[in-house]
Amino acid sequence: MVEENITEQKNKGWKATGEEVLTEAVSKLKEKFGEFVVLCPNPAKEATVFVKKEKIFEVLEYLKTEPSLRFDYLSDLTAVHFPDNEFQIVVVYHLFSIEKKDSLRVKVELKEGESIKSVVSIWPAANWMEREAFDLLGVQFDGHPNLKRILLPDEWEGHPLRKEYPLGGPQENEIRANKYGKPFLLPEDLEEAKKIIEEGRNAE
Amino acid sequence: MQNEKPSHLKELVETREFELNMGPQHPATHGVYRAILTLDGERIQKLNSVVGYLHRGIEKWAEYRTWQQATPIFDRLDYLSAVINCHGYVGAVEKLLQVEIPKKAEYMRVICDELQRIASHLLWFGTHALDIGAMSVLFYGVREREAIIDLFEAHFGQRLLYNAYPIGGVRLDFPKGWIQACRKFLNTFNSRIDEYEALLTENRIWKQRTIGVGVISKEDAIAYGLSGPTLRGSGVYFDVRKSIPYSAYPDFDFEIPLGKNGDVYDRYLCRIREMRQSVRIINQALDGMPEGELKGKVPKIIRSPQGEVYFTVEGSKGQLGFYIVSDGKDKPFRVHIKSPSFINLQGLDVMSKNQLIADMVAIIGSIDIVLGEVDR
Repeated sequence: MVEENITEQKNKGWKATGEEVLTEAVSKLKEKFGEFVVLCPNPAKEATVFVKKEKIFEVLEYLKTEPSLRFDYLSDLTAVHFPDNEFQIVVVYHLFSIEKKDSLRVKVELKEGESIKSVVSIWPAANWMEREAFDLLGVQFDGHPNLKRILLPDEWEGHPLRKEYPLGGPQENEIRANKYGKPFLLPEDLEEAKKIIEEGRNAE
Repeated sequence: MQNEKPSHLKELVETREFELNMGPQHPATHGVYRAILTLDGERIQKLNSVVGYLHRGIEKWAEYRTWQQATPIFDRLDYLSAVINCHGYVGAVEKLLQVEIPKKAEYMRVICDELQRIASHLLWFGTHALDIGAMSVLFYGVREREAIIDLFEAHFGQRLLYNAYPIGGVRLDFPKGWIQACRKFLNTFNSRIDEYEALLTENRIWKQRTIGVGVISKEDAIAYGLSGPTLRGSGVYFDVRKSIPYSAYPDFDFEIPLGKNGDVYDRYLCRIREMRQSVRIINQALDGMPEGELKGKVPKIIRSPQGEVYFTVEGSKGQLGFYIVSDGKDKPFRVHIKSPSFINLQGLDVMSKNQLIADMVAIIGSIDIVLGEVDR
């Protein structure tokens, strides 16, 4: 069931190229969690796995506590928005083991509106990273001690790193219009353009 | 740590916690950073950080530019070590494209990176000492930093934000006489570090202000994801140059200085010793500089393969990471920056627990934050 979903998503829009990398950590995960873990190809030969949402907390806890793996350092946590896919949000964890010098990327797919369990209890470092993912992409983390906006002001509307958010902000077009309410870009018709410029001069 | 009050006073005097606002405009925060301190007397019980005053949406902006066009904006993250930021982004794109970089270009990158690390540490060293009250140290720090910036100006043509590397290698060879000038600087620099250490390392006032202040344990430092000298001050052996080697670093022989107690003094010592190691690396790179091409084979219009890549470098503040997702077009689909200052700032809450307000300035200085990188 899970395998189907993920392969379906892979084929739809965005498809990672390269080869699947099998490290010690990946094979141990595959052994313990079976169908909940799916290998993902990577062009730069970085070990990458997809994990089903239901098991993500157990998988990460296992990676941290298992004495032969000991991924004690959360290097990065972020999310990516794929607007055309069924699973719109992908949350990405970059783990590192200081002792073993081993890296692993764990990814989870979420549907629009779904939330995911917070990992602050496993790595306190996730606190601000999860707040950032919530702030910029609108990912909800259950059980986070203080899930508030961090980089943007509290009263901000929308989540800027989502693909439907325009670069200039939601009021992009209004900002582009000048103070007389005219569009900032001049019309193609020369006479009309001259008129607008003349009006602007007179107003000044 | 609070003194026990006599019982008759307890009944008469009601005590309550006090909230104090530090920043956003405060000389010791090195930028616009606000800390809301909850105080019990003069001791800090809780610290609430407010960041984001300098947020420019660099990650969003990069999605609207081609691979090459996006390069200069990353200089503006940590504007005190622009060369290393550029190396981080360019390295990530090269990893995605699987480009082979000529050996000479890698050596030149290492030289510039390490010079930049020294320059960044020198400014930290001056301002950190200035915060604590040793004014003259700043003048020494800035004097040597000026020499490095002059070297960069001769090579890159800029003094602060260089747009240092193109994707695939380096732009130009070092100009005529540059290597001699660099050697001349390095020969005097070791004795200059001795001078700085004479000013501070055994200074009684400096020691009293820094030893045992802002302690963070080894376990906490790892759990909170700290990196760079802030992490190594607690005695954790984690340096990207050794742990996840990149560029030409495996060719060089150098050590990673570690602290013991994880206090402000140990972090200070780590950075000072790191500068000596950087000098060692640059000397080796200048001696063993190979001949050859400056740039690998990169097409003029880049279309990357679909996929994702995470590339980290050891910035002057810590592990600087770039996570790039590509959908096979001429622009990045998503660029995420793991900025060391942002994560290191999280540890401030732990470091400042039960410390005096006056020591806050020393603790903030010791993590060496740059707000351009925190807020992105």
